[in-house]
Amino acid sequence: MAHRFNNRVLKYSIMLKNYFKIAIAVLRRHKFFTFISLFGISFTLTILLVLTAFIDKVVGDNYPDKKRDRSLYVSRLSEEGKGTMSSGMVSFYFLDHYVRSLKTPTDIAISSVFSGTNTYVNDKKIAVNYKYTNAAYWDIMEYDFVEGKAFDKQAVANAEKVAVISEDMKAEYFGDVPSVVGKYIEADNVKYRVIGVVKNVPITSYMTYSDIYLPYTVAKDGNFKDKGYRGGYYGILLAASKSDLSKMHNEYEQMVQKLPMEAKQYNKIYSHADPYIASYVDTGNENQSGVVLVLTILSVFVVIFMLLPTLNLVNINITRIMERSSEIGVRKAFGASSKTLVYQFIVENIILTLLGGLIGLVLSFIVIQVINSMNLIANLELSINFMVLFIGLLVCLVFGLLSGVYPAWRMSKLNVVTALKAQ
Amino acid sequence: MFKHLFKLIWNKKKQNFLLMSEILVSFLVIFAVFTLLVYYYNNYKKPMGFDYKNVWIVNYNNVENTKNTDSLDLYYETLRQTILSMPQVSGVSFTSDNTPFTQNTNSGEIKYNGQVLDNNNWYTVDDDYLAVLNMQLLQGRWFNKTDAVSKYKPVVINSDLKEKVFGNGPALGKIFTGYDDKDNFKVIGVVQSLKMKGDYAPAGIGLYQRTDTGSYHWLGKFMVKVNPGADATFEGRLYKTLANYMKNSDVEIEHLTDKRKSINYFTLVPIIVMLIVGCFLIINVALGLFGVLWYNINKRKGEIGLRRAIGASGQSVSSQLVAEALILATFSLIVGAFFAVQFPILNLFDLPAGVYIAAIILSVIFIYLLVLVCSLYPGRQAAAILPAVALHED
Repeated sequence: MAHRFNNRVLKYSIMLKNYFKIAIAVLRRHKFFTFISLFGISFTLTILLVLTAFIDKVVGDNYPDKKRDRSLYVSRLSEEGKGTMSSGMVSFYFLDHYVRSLKTPTDIAISSVFSGTNTYVNDKKIAVNYKYTNAAYWDIMEYDFVEGKAFDKQAVANAEKVAVISEDMKAEYFGDVPSVVGKYIEADNVKYRVIGVVKNVPITSYMTYSDIYLPYTVAKDGNFKDKGYRGGYYGILLAASKSDLSKMHNEYEQMVQKLPMEAKQYNKIYSHADPYIASYVDTGNENQSGVVLVLTILSVFVVIFMLLPTLNLVNINITRIMERSSEIGVRKAFGASSKTLVYQFIVENIILTLLGGLIGLVLSFIVIQVINSMNLIANLELSINFMVLFIGLLVCLVFGLLSGVYPAWRMSKLNVVTALKAQ
Repeated sequence: MFKHLFKLIWNKKKQNFLLMSEILVSFLVIFAVFTLLVYYYNNYKKPMGFDYKNVWIVNYNNVENTKNTDSLDLYYETLRQTILSMPQVSGVSFTSDNTPFTQNTNSGEIKYNGQVLDNNNWYTVDDDYLAVLNMQLLQGRWFNKTDAVSKYKPVVINSDLKEKVFGNGPALGKIFTGYDDKDNFKVIGVVQSLKMKGDYAPAGIGLYQRTDTGSYHWLGKFMVKVNPGADATFEGRLYKTLANYMKNSDVEIEHLTDKRKSINYFTLVPIIVMLIVGCFLIINVALGLFGVLWYNINKRKGEIGLRRAIGASGQSVSSQLVAEALILATFSLIVGAFFAVQFPILNLFDLPAGVYIAAIILSVIFIYLLVLVCSLYPGRQAAAILPAVALHED
């Protein structure tokens, strides 16, 4: 039994090796057509890979909000009345008072939208983005601290002038020094004591990006005391577990429905606690879902973009069927079965696709390295998503098989004479 | 001759159908690319309308220290005089937050003779705005102190708005109405349109209204025109002065030159990405087209040999093959152009019709050139076929 099995394995491996040899020979004989196919497959994959690397990084990168799967994000509140609509970010008071009253969230991270200021060191101007946060922000977010630590409840309550700064800010302000904890950084004409340095966040993660993080109590304008619903803050609600998310979402909606109107021209208030992606692409319009909009734009782009190379591949394959017909005829005349011929074409297509995929992978790697080194967006390091590579290869393979193998298979069913005559 | 070519194409309709759909899709892609290129180029050609060099923007958050309008006016007027007293400063102008090269847009309902003007830009600015940005006044005058008390609110309109509403007719003295026909605005001047969103964006229609006594309650920005020699040391000093004066507010100084760079960058990067992707698609299509045509000729050796044998010249065989390819392209282009003209007809995306038409013409030329280039070599190869060899092979 084992012996027979071994024999069969040997037989198949020899067959496979032969298919492989023939396929390489065919590909090499028609160098130009091989080149066209490879070019199409590899460049299509490259562009898809770079595009998804970008999307992946921008919306998929979960530094520093690693608990994203059990968090909901609050970023906007709209007030609507007859012929009037007003929409914007929520206030600190709204988050600290109304949202805090919810039972499901274990904690709420509150942070302001980042805004800009300047500081001047040694006659050099440094643009600084700063962000105010509460203490819970640092418990919920998992920033990587290069040195020092975050400010705690006590520091916030005492309105201590302390700051957590980014690595970039450290390098720009203090230069190349090993440790800056305990030193003072001046921003917006105020001196803050540095208590921690965190790894950079790219600006595309706009809800967590900043150069300097400060306790909200030190804000000069003191607008965290304003009792209005709207202001310049984001809230991140943390649930105890993933299963509590929908409960938390519903509780939030109920709370919003019960909110008293701020002014008499309004009769409806909208605000949602959404998962990260939905709040990231929020359009600011109650009737237009950002997720649907982004998905539509992306799929239209991908379909149009994939359509041309696919048509091209199909076109070339179908054109060459005639040539293959004589090949099929000759091989059938020498006793090859339809099955053998189909295997042959499948192997040929797989080799072509894999080769294209390999080139595509190398090209994407180069392109991504170039984009990273150009530093188009600070701290945005792209990387290849292998799932997409796999899906892209699969799509190429399906179309390759459809356009190359199916007609060949149909032709293999023909009579030898007919096939040979086609030439 | 054409009838004959049509017949040849019809005989291989299945294969040609694929080729035609490929050309059609390429046309649509090229059309999209050219539309954007033409649009951006048109905008780029137009004058900027103002001087952004040596203009700094100061952002402060407006913390109302007092509800009293008079003392607020005094507070900011003192600030203005303090800044103006610095030797490096030549002008200061308070403005609404839609300063040049920001994404901020303010718009409000505005009508002329019942015609609603959508997508307008309202700028609330003071008397020094024109001088600080070095704008060009085309007609009438800019705001001055006499505008504080007048029956109609005075407005200055930009040349785009003037052209849209009045054409070549007079604009001065005309009255716009606002929301609910309540407010009336009287045109006192026309300025050259400013490309506020960068070199590649259209100026759009714009109206300027004068800041009034209550405006300091909500304003949050002013522009400072500095002399060319102003450096970071001076900027640091200006910053200290501002921060010490406005103790409760965060202050930020930005340069218009930097802001222009970054807003242009946001327009250019997508164009560059699109061009790279477009180029790749075109190369791909060109290679495919070339391959298919070249292969077809190899397959039609017999036919071509026969043509040569009965007296067709090499030239005529070659031009027949090129003509076949061009006819195929024409079919695709007719279908493609049918889709493309829907854009200006339905006024999709609100671009001027001229942009679409130019883009259609350019893409048609481009596709013809592409097909021509791809069929020339195979055509020439066909011309080189010797009847004796070709027919002998068969």
